[in-house]
Amino acid sequence: MISKIGRQAAILFICALCLTPFYILLTLSLNKPTRILSEGNIFIPDFHFHNYIDGWVKSQIGTAILNSALITLFALAVIVVLGTMAAYTIARFDYKFNKAFFWIFLCSMMIPGIINTVPLYTLMIRINAINTLWGMALVCATNVLPSSVFIFTGFVRSLPREIEESAIIDGCSWFAAFWRITFPLLKPSIAAVAILNGFGIWNNYAQAVFFLQDRSKHNIPQALSVYFQQFAGAKWHLMAATAVIAVIPVICAFLLFQKSLLKGLTEGAVKG
Amino acid sequence: MNTRIFKLFTILAIACLLLAGCASTSGDANASQAPKTVKLKLFTGKIETIDIINDVINEFNASQNRIVVEQEYQKDASNIIKIKFASGQVPDIMTTYEQGFVDEGKFLDLSDRSEWWDRLLPSMKESCTDVKSGKQYRVCTNMTMAGFFYNKEIFSELGLKTATTWDEFTSNLKAIKESKPDVTPWFIFGKEAWHLGHLIEFIPHGYIKQSLGAVEAKKAMLANDKAKLNFGAPDGAMATFAKNMLELKELGYINSNVLTATSDNCVQDFVSGKAAMLSNGMWVLSSLLEANPEMESKIGFAPYPAYMPGSKPVVLSAEDSGYSISASTENKAEAIEFLNFLFNAENQKKYSEGAKAPSAFKDVSAQWAPAAVVAEVETALKDAVNIGFTNEKPAGFSGDDMGRMVQDLLAGKHTPESYAAEYEKTWDGGMQ
Amino acid sequence: MRHVKTGLHTFMAFPAFLLFALFFLWPLAQGIGMSLTDWDGIRAPSFVGLQNFFSFFKDSRALGDIKTTLLFTLGSAPLLNLVGLGYALLMDGEFHGKGLARVIIYLPAIISPLIMGYIWYFLLQPDRGFVSQAMMQWGFSRGLGDWMNEYWLEMLVLILVNVWQYAGMTMVIYLAGLQGIPQELYESAKMDGAGYSSRFRYVTLPLLIPSIRINVVTNIIGSLSVFDIIMSLTDGGPGYATESLGIYIMRMCYGSKTGYSTAVAMIMFFIILVPVVISMRLTQERE
Repeated sequence: MISKIGRQAAILFICALCLTPFYILLTLSLNKPTRILSEGNIFIPDFHFHNYIDGWVKSQIGTAILNSALITLFALAVIVVLGTMAAYTIARFDYKFNKAFFWIFLCSMMIPGIINTVPLYTLMIRINAINTLWGMALVCATNVLPSSVFIFTGFVRSLPREIEESAIIDGCSWFAAFWRITFPLLKPSIAAVAILNGFGIWNNYAQAVFFLQDRSKHNIPQALSVYFQQFAGAKWHLMAATAVIAVIPVICAFLLFQKSLLKGLTEGAVKG
Repeated sequence: MNTRIFKLFTILAIACLLLAGCASTSGDANASQAPKTVKLKLFTGKIETIDIINDVINEFNASQNRIVVEQEYQKDASNIIKIKFASGQVPDIMTTYEQGFVDEGKFLDLSDRSEWWDRLLPSMKESCTDVKSGKQYRVCTNMTMAGFFYNKEIFSELGLKTATTWDEFTSNLKAIKESKPDVTPWFIFGKEAWHLGHLIEFIPHGYIKQSLGAVEAKKAMLANDKAKLNFGAPDGAMATFAKNMLELKELGYINSNVLTATSDNCVQDFVSGKAAMLSNGMWVLSSLLEANPEMESKIGFAPYPAYMPGSKPVVLSAEDSGYSISASTENKAEAIEFLNFLFNAENQKKYSEGAKAPSAFKDVSAQWAPAAVVAEVETALKDAVNIGFTNEKPAGFSGDDMGRMVQDLLAGKHTPESYAAEYEKTWDGGMQ
Repeated sequence: MRHVKTGLHTFMAFPAFLLFALFFLWPLAQGIGMSLTDWDGIRAPSFVGLQNFFSFFKDSRALGDIKTTLLFTLGSAPLLNLVGLGYALLMDGEFHGKGLARVIIYLPAIISPLIMGYIWYFLLQPDRGFVSQAMMQWGFSRGLGDWMNEYWLEMLVLILVNVWQYAGMTMVIYLAGLQGIPQELYESAKMDGAGYSSRFRYVTLPLLIPSIRINVVTNIIGSLSVFDIIMSLTDGGPGYATESLGIYIMRMCYGSKTGYSTAVAMIMFFIILVPVVISMRLTQERE
């Protein structure tokens, strides 16, 4: 009983910690541009809801949310399909090139992507991928492919090999056994990879600045960047309001999908 | 149950792929229908004017059917333009200018566009001129100024006058500190390295520029003429500046949180009367007025006081909003046609008022700031030596790097002498 | 391993590898070449051999950055794993508002890092941040204290913030790992009279090894290439005191030292490789 209460308290505490930044964001988004932060109670905003209208109009955040969503979905689909397939064969079959692929992926995680900037830019120009959502999605997918393969490989290894072998005995090919047996069992790790990488792709800025140049193709961070003045601070009230607008669809989607998407995470879990 | 979600997910993803594909093909189709249209890219890092430029572009695009101008804004434009040059995707027109690009012939020579130069103020034409070649590779449509912004109300309450020498300056700070203990005499936001870099730029570099003259100073910097620059000397401009700053810190005349304060903190303290002075450029004006519209009548503007023996007060009066055309563009004539449109007096009036920066064109009269502020600025410009920005710094020694050295100084890691020596060493290192 | 006939499964890693080769390895191959040149991004590069590598070890700023990066990793990687595992054990199982709690834990990651960074500073700025102001209102007159003036304190804050922001991500992997542990094992351990701690020691921990390995390796890599947290909180300052290698590379790359920055990236690769290989070996033995 005591441990149950302790646990609830700990969870509440963690949630409070994680909510703090969001609370700051909300407060900033409701302040008037003339608000002096060192005067009055810093935790109570001005409730100036007009920021949200201004933010929506000035930043074209609607288009940006759509662009970020399309890029993220496409990139995640690529990662899930290609990543799990690669992880399966790497975990199960000892081919020399599988080993090589695994180490290449692992080592690539340790190389800072910035040194690729110029050659990648030239490549994107050559394949006409500048200002395209598919080009951006492929770049984002490539960024996280190594870590995804690494994670998937770990999880395939933790599944017993026998599950596929029984399907093989029934006349299935190894390829088909993967899709029928292993892939569905990987759902928890797919959910984990989607969560781990999805937000990063959703919020990609480092590459978006090069490859999404048209304003109509901008993603969320780019839409937010119009509130930064180089030498004069930022328009916090508008930026925060716009950022809140951009966070809402993610939270909604998450609440909507999390029951089914994360169900894998709790099925058969230790019941407290 | 779960499989359905995953199928839905996959279908969605494929749908995006198709959508994206369609979008790009339809774009191509448009291009092939009207093959004569020239696309011009305008690359800018100036957020203040993004909407005004967009209006001008829309008007221009609607006025004819041969040229379509597109604006690309980037927060970190000066970094991103380097990658663009390195990758070979250079915009036709850009507002990012660097000595290195000039030296490598990346910009179109605009020296013969007399229709522009005849309209420009002579001092601004000089600022646009590359010292090495004597040619012009950019047209600056505006000016910007930097100096001390001060709270006129506090000054008149205490009966203070703006300082012309460093002694007067410190006695002003002292008076504020003594009679108004809650007010920061001089607020420095040193978390932002560029701000400290600007102090170097305006005070010790400012001294060099006013004592040598604008052109001679540029030449001395380009040639790293040590006898003239004298950065490392223990009694030189650098060391004296460092000594003065440490003294102000010691006496509590600057904010104690100098290393952690941000530009936002500074604006907020100044407009609420908690800071009496700040050093900045005109670009901060709109933030000040937005944070407190009543500041309009209280904002004073003063030059940087003279701090070396025999020197004079200085104020920055520099070029702003410079446009260059890429040397490699295939659409030179079109780019010039657009700039002609952008530079017409009516558009420049709008631009000047929107950007809160006075126009560099003689035939543009714009109300770029509240009249009281304009009067303050004009007085300061008249009373002090006008200096420009240093574009002749060594590559790899940015204003940010200069500012970081001042952070180290204020954090107690340097004596004035070791600071000056370190500065000279870093400058020389960048010159190689 | 038994011999298996070649089939479609043999080539299942090829699509992923081809994509990766096109968008990463091919550009990388061109990029690595630059590490032997003095390229500044503008002028034509000329070959300088290993000069860039030598000058790295002569640069006191770079050596300071290595120290900062290693210190940060020593604090951050173990702590992230412990906290992440703790979160996962807490969040596993049934309780009221579980769905909501999970969404909340990811919130710091959903907000664009572009803004998140500044929010951290709004919160933790030594004298004016929300935390300091709250502390002052509750009677702690010094607030958070001037943590940016003391290197050790600064590192500590950076590590804690990093854990705060990314523990949720580490938790995800542990949660997925916990879910793979068959319920029956716990049942039988319970029947044998094992308490919670011995069930954790002999059932949970050994079966979590794959997840531990994933988290240890990704956290080592992530901490050694730390960038955004430091940029937003201290900007690497004062001076270059808290600059990390990742920030150094970025600054060199944009500061007309493109060739040199590539060489530093190569050096950083080897710095990361050593602990990663060690932890891979260690966890392999345990498996």
